[in-house]
Amino acid sequence: MQYMLLIYEPESAYEGEAGQGLLQEIVARHYALAEELRQKGQFKDGSGLQETATATTVATTGGAQTVHDGPFAETREHLGGYYLIDVPDLDAALAIARRVPVADGGKVEVRPLVTY
Amino acid sequence: MQAAAKAIAEARPRVVAALAARLRDLDLAEDAFAEACAAALIAWPQQAPRDPAAWLWRASLRRGIDAKRRAAVRERAVHDAPAPPPTPEEVLMADQPIPDERLRLIFVCCHPAIGADARAALTLKVVCGLSTERLARAFLVAEPAMLQRITRAKRKIAAAGVPFEVPGPAAWPERLEAVLATLEIAYAQAYEDAALAGETAGFAAEVLRLSGLLAELVPDDPEVLGLAALVRFTEARRPARLDDAGAMVPPEAQDVRLWRRDLIAEGAALMARAADLGRSGPRQILAAIHGAHLSRMETRATPWADIAALYDVLLTVRPTPVTRVNRAVALGEAFGGEAGLAALAEIDPERLEAWLPWHAARAGLFAKAGDSLRAREALKAALALKPAPAERLFLERRLRALG
Repeated sequence: MQYMLLIYEPESAYEGEAGQGLLQEIVARHYALAEELRQKGQFKDGSGLQETATATTVATTGGAQTVHDGPFAETREHLGGYYLIDVPDLDAALAIARRVPVADGGKVEVRPLVTY
Repeated sequence: MQAAAKAIAEARPRVVAALAARLRDLDLAEDAFAEACAAALIAWPQQAPRDPAAWLWRASLRRGIDAKRRAAVRERAVHDAPAPPPTPEEVLMADQPIPDERLRLIFVCCHPAIGADARAALTLKVVCGLSTERLARAFLVAEPAMLQRITRAKRKIAAAGVPFEVPGPAAWPERLEAVLATLEIAYAQAYEDAALAGETAGFAAEVLRLSGLLAELVPDDPEVLGLAALVRFTEARRPARLDDAGAMVPPEAQDVRLWRRDLIAEGAALMARAADLGRSGPRQILAAIHGAHLSRMETRATPWADIAALYDVLLTVRPTPVTRVNRAVALGEAFGGEAGLAALAEIDPERLEAWLPWHAARAGLFAKAGDSLRAREALKAALALKPAPAERLFLERRLRALG
């Protein structure tokens, strides 16, 4: 089954000098995890996303579309990256989700993909 | 017809679990079992099967496999193609003894990916076959809400790919706690019904067996042993829980000659093993409390002061209203009605108004303290909650005794 691991983190965790240090450490751990999953044939796709200040949203309401600056929801944690993995079941997906590096307060949402 | 219904209820957990493990689909397993039951109610009056469970297993497995094959054919968009005949493996499988997959099914229903409030309900529905209506009453929610809770949980299991497996050692502690809590809630439902006359009939025996099986599979977890002991200690008293008139008899008034010595011995052995592991927990403390009640067999008097002290310990790990009310009752028996009422006064009654033991405890403590007016009021409040016949007779008798 394919699962999307959606990584939500407070962006403030990576602010300042200490934040940049943390970012480098976490990115290095992402590379290591992705490489390991690739070798096991479980990695389908994955990437980090640029900060929410770069986001633009297209909203459709009553047939009319508007484009506006920023992410669609104002929350403390933001979608910062994702993995797309292929594993046998939810337990295997959760085991990987537990190993996804995050800053303090980070959350990893595990969502199965629709199979067509 | 009544015999058939009883045979179906008894066969259900084993057959549905085996179906779910085989078909990997809870809804399909339940539907196939329901269809087989409908067929049984037509076929059995003509010719009663030698082994009803085996009959239901064969009939429902055939239906389940057919349904799965039809779905697969639909998916390939092949119309009017006849379903292929069953493979030799499938035919052989139906003649094998029913595999015991109940534990596996319980681990599926108790997966942490399912909301905590849905786990117990789902387990009782799927494993024990409790009706949505009965579950709604037990969990104090409206029936449509309960139905939605169960439907969502089942959908999640299927859609999110929850595996039909007993978890590996790394996931044990988390998964096991969820299973223990679920079995405990399930057993509380069966225990509540002293006469075993309601829809939970037979499932006290089911939890007895499952808790024993869990103790076999996980012999080094003291809480698993504690729960198995707890269920044995309370079930040991079951033959004494009703008098000749069908009224409930509380533990301290039961005829000890009716208590089941075999279950008491089993429970004591489990408790000894749990104690050797040197790690206490709420189920072991509860088992110790019920064990203390059973000690009346030798000492002729219930050790209420010991029981109150055990409730003090339980309160530190499980500070629930249930613990507090039971502790107040024990204090009242050990040190007088005033002591019990003082403990009761510390409990916020707001959410307890619909809970029968709350009113029964108040009635007992008021009566003990000599306040028969309030005792009568509390008994009337308890009776207004429409208790099961055994409890109703018991409460009515106490009401008459107060004059």
